[in-house]
Parts: sequence; structure tokens; C-alpha cells
Amino acid sequence: MSEPIGTSVPPRRPATPPIAVSATTTEVNKTGAWKYIRPVYHDRVAPCNQGCPAGVDVEGYMALLREGKIDEAAELLALEHPMPAVTGRVCNHPCESGCNRGHFDGAVAIHAVERMLGDRLLAAAPPAPAAPTRTERVAVVGSGPAGLACAYHLAAMGYPVDVLEREDRAGGMLRQGIPEYRLPRDVLDAQIRRIEASGVTIHTGVQVTEATLPEIRSRYSVIFFATGAYLGRLLGVEGEELPGVWQGLDFLRRVNAGLRPPLGERVAVIGGGNTAMDCARTALRLGARPIVVYRRTRDEMPAIAEEIEDAWREGVEFVFLAAPTAFRTADGLLSGVACARMKLADAGPDGRRRPVATGESLFVQADTVLLATGEDPELEPWPEEVVRGGAVAIDEWGETASPLVFAGGDVSGDERTVARALGAGKRAAIGIDRALRRRAGVATPDTSALRWGPTGAPSVARWRDADPVLRVAPLNEVVPFEDVNTAHFQLRPRNADRHAALDAAGAPFAEVNGGLGDDVALVEAGRCFNCGVCNECELCLIFCGDVAISHSHDGGRFDIDMNFCKGCGVCAAECPRGAISMTREGL
Amino acid sequence: MSQIVIKDRIPERELMTSGHLACPGCGGALAMRLVLKAMGPQTVVVLPACCWSIIAGPFPQSSLRVPLYHTAFETGAAVASGVRAALDMRGETETKVMVWAGDGGTFDIGLQALSGAAERGEDFLYFCYDNEAYMNTGVQRSSATPWGAWTTTTPVEQPQSTAKKDMLAIMAAHRIAYAATASVGYPVDLIEKVQKAMAMRGTRFIHILAPCPPGWKFADEQSIELARLAVESRVFPLVEVEDGDRWTLTPAEAATDADAALAKYIGAQGRFRHLKPEQVEQIRRNVDERWQRMEKQASLSD
Repeated sequence: MSEPIGTSVPPRRPATPPIAVSATTTEVNKTGAWKYIRPVYHDRVAPCNQGCPAGVDVEGYMALLREGKIDEAAELLALEHPMPAVTGRVCNHPCESGCNRGHFDGAVAIHAVERMLGDRLLAAAPPAPAAPTRTERVAVVGSGPAGLACAYHLAAMGYPVDVLEREDRAGGMLRQGIPEYRLPRDVLDAQIRRIEASGVTIHTGVQVTEATLPEIRSRYSVIFFATGAYLGRLLGVEGEELPGVWQGLDFLRRVNAGLRPPLGERVAVIGGGNTAMDCARTALRLGARPIVVYRRTRDEMPAIAEEIEDAWREGVEFVFLAAPTAFRTADGLLSGVACARMKLADAGPDGRRRPVATGESLFVQADTVLLATGEDPELEPWPEEVVRGGAVAIDEWGETASPLVFAGGDVSGDERTVARALGAGKRAAIGIDRALRRRAGVATPDTSALRWGPTGAPSVARWRDADPVLRVAPLNEVVPFEDVNTAHFQLRPRNADRHAALDAAGAPFAEVNGGLGDDVALVEAGRCFNCGVCNECELCLIFCGDVAISHSHDGGRFDIDMNFCKGCGVCAAECPRGAISMTREGL
Repeated sequence: MSQIVIKDRIPERELMTSGHLACPGCGGALAMRLVLKAMGPQTVVVLPACCWSIIAGPFPQSSLRVPLYHTAFETGAAVASGVRAALDMRGETETKVMVWAGDGGTFDIGLQALSGAAERGEDFLYFCYDNEAYMNTGVQRSSATPWGAWTTTTPVEQPQSTAKKDMLAIMAAHRIAYAATASVGYPVDLIEKVQKAMAMRGTRFIHILAPCPPGWKFADEQSIELARLAVESRVFPLVEVEDGDRWTLTPAEAATDADAALAKYIGAQGRFRHLKPEQVEQIRRNVDERWQRMEKQASLSD
């Protein structure tokens, strides 16, 4: 029953509150609409990664070390690299030349961190050999760094690989050319054993000649030639055939094989590269007095800076701006090197200043001369069509003009470093896998995305689709120093390797460079900027005045709420490592 | 570790919401966010007229997850005194009261209320986020505007001709328990200073430099960099004064060249673009003089 009209009391209006009270948050305002530019997380490439000719994910293992994951870091390194204990000692480390920290307080001593990880891998149990999953057999001719790298990566892809080495020990130039005081033979042996344990078979004492090649071709689907460059160059000056004038590389091979050739007192070493430094320091260890004769100055020497430094410290003498013009004898014995005095002119096509004769001359007394002005490859079983400019011509992935015949390393005229050889072996492994898969009618991954940065070496882990590192929206561009925000880093100078003084009487061939030691190497790894790769330092989140950044719940690292991000760009500016970019795209 | 990792030292809880109306890159918005992280949820904010009156959102919005009391320009410290008294009467002694005022509401219009409250020893924290002019109303000069700066009321023909008022010294002269400067460029230092002040009683004053992209005329993304440069150049030294006479300079973490930082600081801002080299040199001398005075005060406190 309804109430009679007019008898009910009208409801009281609610009392007006004494003050206005908020009922909502400002989240109803989609202030993200203000922006005309937005931040995006992009992992980019650290310059060390692009700089490494062997294609190692340096930044990746540094990031793992920062998290205390030492074993994971070593595994990541081993994924891209068959011999870190070797390169940690002898590499010219172009990774460090590119290191952005070099513009701040000194490049990270990457080589020493690599050495620590490499030694750790050697001390650990050998890896289980990869089970062969492929039927095509691959022959690798030569067991230097290029050959072993190719074999190692192919074995990891499941190929049965035989390495054929003409000497009675594997290692190539690592064993023949590099002196023991730089690369102790127990380290080299252990490194090669580890490569063998990973599924590579090495046959020593097997020489591949024009005569044996057809048989090898019939037994293997693919051949990779990594036969190196062992023919020392001649200068083309008078007296080069004299008995006391030797090829430096031959001298090193004999000493490295345990021989102790008599040198006399004064030894002139002609050249300014690593072979020259090795010859001089080896001669010093045999009791001689070495004098390096180089036609340019110390600044132009192609040898690794540390090797020059060590030679200098040990007492090797240098004669700069001197170009040999003749080797002289006195009483039937070598008496020395007549040289033209040079001066430096403008830079030549290679960027180094050219030496030109001044018209003056000088004479360097010597009982023995060691020529170390470069080496050329032996081109013996190669047909003419694959040779170009005194070396074997190959394409980007190591294939020669002859189908399913690959080559790489010093024999292909590549820059003569261990790292380049390792990279050549890796590229060939990828090239061989690609060629064989194509032959089998299997689609192959795109090779354009394999490189570290626009000019870097490829990642074999990416080729195998086995890269364990999480990368968020990766951009294949290198982070320049300007993109590193150094305000968030403290000055921590680079740690110097421990060096042993030369013990000429006791153990002249003992290892000189002792590395950093495990603890200091880890400290050194902590200096890494981690250029281009987010390590969740949270500075973007901390400095966001719009509370628009939060930890991600779906696999990424952080989410930016575009409803509220006003596009100020503070996160990108404050990111210590250039892992955030501002873009107009998507707006 | 070479990177200065700070994430473990910043409280996680967010007490400020998105969608507020601060300009992109606003130092004052970030300052509030960081201060509230330190203050925690049991806080009442008293807000005299300033940029934040707008930033907090129009009725019925609020961008804070704690009670926020909008009040008149000159009354920040007086209202906070009243709120404190009311809370105490209700037995809510654990609830903290803070004033959040701009430089206008602190250096100029709210100065007598602040001075009176400090003299009485009222129990609250007073934050001045200082963007060095009346930015909200369109960049009019205040007594916090630095010498030589352009504002709409100090045009380039006749830029600010007086020195920035030394607010820290004024508050120190009240002999309050704690007076300090802080910067959004140094979030850990800022949060630790707030936490230190919270543990004390009486009137506590924290002066935070808040870079203002539109008012100082610099690119939005440079906000934090400018906050850092202000400290590194000693334009805005980080300092604490306890009980009015114990001065401590908080060293900037990165070792830098103060003169180079000053050149960068001035060069990045359009409000200084009209300055002639000799005027920049005048600023350098003034900065240096003040720094030496502070160092002397700090050394006397040792």
C-alpha cells in the first residue's frame, strides 16, 4: 500500500562536507597523450663484442660475472670460443681497444678476465663430447687456431670432424711460432685436449699434398684448409743468403721444438711485428744480445703493445728508422746489417706513416740476423683459380671458388692474429653447415643477423639458435661512449697484469705474464659498463617522475606504461649503458 | 662494483600516482615521489599554493595516496602546526606532518609563518622544492631566483639583479634540529636525509633543488643531469646543519671539476643564455665565495 501523497517527510539532503575531498586518483588522466616521443628498451651491442674478431659475447659473460655466475660465464665464453686460455694470454685483444671504459679510466682488462675463465674451464671436467647427429664428414687441414676453431664449432653442431696435422703435435702457429714464455705448453696441451674431448679427432703427421688430396676429397664431404702461413718473406737485399741470416719463424720453430741454435753475441732482428718481438725475446733467453731493427718508429710497430713493452723492459735494444740495405761479412762470417737511415713521411694507404730514405746510412753489428718481416702461405695443393694475390681467396663464409672446399686463417691472407684465425674458423664452420644443409634441402637461418654490430664477427650460438642470453628488442648497433652515462660509475683504474722478471739463468722460458689472479680478475670484470645491455640497475624506474615504469611481469625487464609516460626522456638519459632509446615510432 | 647501485636503498612503495599534471621532466614531481617513499604512508601533506597545487590534480582527484591538504600561499607552516596539534589531540602521534611548498611559498610569501613555526619548534617536516621562480604562474622571479637569471619579470635587458636568498642559513639561524639541502640528482642522499630528519622532533627543514625544464629552459631529459651539475658545480651544495651550528658538507660522489660543471650547468639553460662571459665569471666567483664560507662553517663544526 502506497503512502498518501503529502504525508511523507522528504529525505534530508546529505550534509555538504566542510571541505572538498578527493574521490579519485589522477590516474584518470591519461597524461601519456602529451608525449611526442617515447622510450623503448633495446639491448644494443657493446663495442668489445663488435671488436672481437672471434665473435665472443664479452659483454654477456661480464654480465654473468657481475651476478656471480662464474661457471655460466665460462660456459657462455666456451660456446663461442674454443681456446680462451690461449687467447687470454696471447691475443692482441681488439676488444679492449674498443672498450668504452677506455674513455673513462682505462679499458677493462678483458684478456685477463678471459684468461681466468679459460683456465677455469681447463681445470674443470672436460665437456661431454657432442654426439654426432650429421652424416657428412668434414676434414680440417691444419690444427692451428683456425682449424681447431672450425672443428670445434662443427663438432658442436653434430658433425664428425677429422683434423689433419702435418707436424707430430697439434697447435699450428700456437706451437710452432709462439714462445713458451708467452704460452706455456701445458696450457696449450690442455686446451687442445679439451677441444678433442668436445668431439674433435686430431690426426698428426698427416700431410695433405696434391697427390693425397683426391683421396681425402672422396672420404669427406667438405674440406677446410687452415694451413697457415709459414714461408718467411725475403727483403730482396744483398747478402740475404749468407749463413748467419735466418728466417725468424724458422728460428722460433727450432727453439719451440727444444733446439738451442747457436746465435753468437749480437742478434739483429729485422721487423716490428709480433714475430720480431718473439725472436728478440727468445734470443735474449738464449743468452744473446738482440737488437730490433725497424724502419719506422715505435708508434708504427704492428706488434702487440704489451709485447713491445715487455721486450723493452727485458732489455731488448731497438734501432728505429733503419731499413736494411745489405748484410755484410767480415773474415767469412756475418758482421752486420747495413741500413739506410729513414724518416717518416705522410701516412700511406694503410694509415701508417711511410718511411722514406734520408740519404744517410748506418751499420748494425750482428753475428746473426733474424728476418721477421712477414710470412706468406704455402699455396701447394691449391689450383690456380682459388688463389688471388698470393693467398687463397674465400667468400664471407670461408668458401673458395671450388665448391665445398673452404679455407681460412693465415692461408687466406687474413690479418695474422690468433683471434682473426679463430673468427675465420668459426665463419667457415657456419659456412660449411649452411652449405651442407642447403645441399640436403634444409632451410638455413638468415646469416645477416649473426654479426655483433655492423662490422663484428658472427655468433655461432645465434647460428645454432642456442644463445642463452635474454635480449630485449635487440638492435644490432654499437653503443658509443657518448651513450654511457658515466655519472653512475666510480673511477676504478684498470688492474695491471702481474709480470715476472726474466730469470735468464734459472727458468728463462717461464711464463712472464701471470694474469690478474682469480679475485682481481673478478674485480676487473666488475668494471664492465655492460654497454647497451640492461642489467636491471633500476635507475630508469627510480628517476621516472611519472611513476610510469615498473618491473615487468611478462618476461621482459621493465614495463613502461604508455598511458602515463610523458616522453620526457629522463630514463634514456640516465640509463648508464645506453639500453633505452627515444623514438617517434609507434605514436 | 664500479656502478653506483642504488636500487636497494630506495624504498619500493609508491605513494604517488601517475596521471599527475607536472610537466615532462619536472624535478618537483620526482622530488615528491622520492620524499614520500621515505616518509611512508602514515603522512599528512600540507600544500600551500605552488606548482604542486596543480600537479596534484583538479577536484576530485589527488595524485598522492596519503592525505593532502591544499591551503593558502602564506599558510603552509601555520596549517601544519594546526594539523599537528589536531592529530596530537586525537592521539595520532605516529602520523607525520609535512609541508610541501615551492620557493615562492617558502622564501617569499610563507616566510613569516615558517619562521614563527620554527621559533615555536612546531613538530613537522618542511620541504621546499625550489625551482627558483613562480613557475606555475608563468615564470615570475622570486627571492630564490639566482643572480643573472631570466624570468618574465626579470627580462634579459634587466635580469635578476639580487643574489638568491640564503634560505638554509635563515633556517639554521632559527637553531632548528635539522636543516639540509638535497637534490633529485642524488636520490639516496635525499632519502637518507628525510629518514634522518624523521627520527628527530621539532621543525625540520629540507631544501630540494627541483630543475624546471620550461622555466629554466632546458631539454626535458636533462633534468637529473642539471640537478647533478648544480651540486658538482657547487651552485647548490649538499649540506646538513644540525641544531643550527653543526654544518656538514655532503660530498658529491663523483670527483669532478667544479668550474667545468658550472660551465655546463649555465650553458645548458636558456635562462642564462644572455649572460656575457664576465657575468658568468661573476657567478663563478659568487659560487666560490659561498662554497668557501660553507667550508669554513663546516670546519668550525668539526
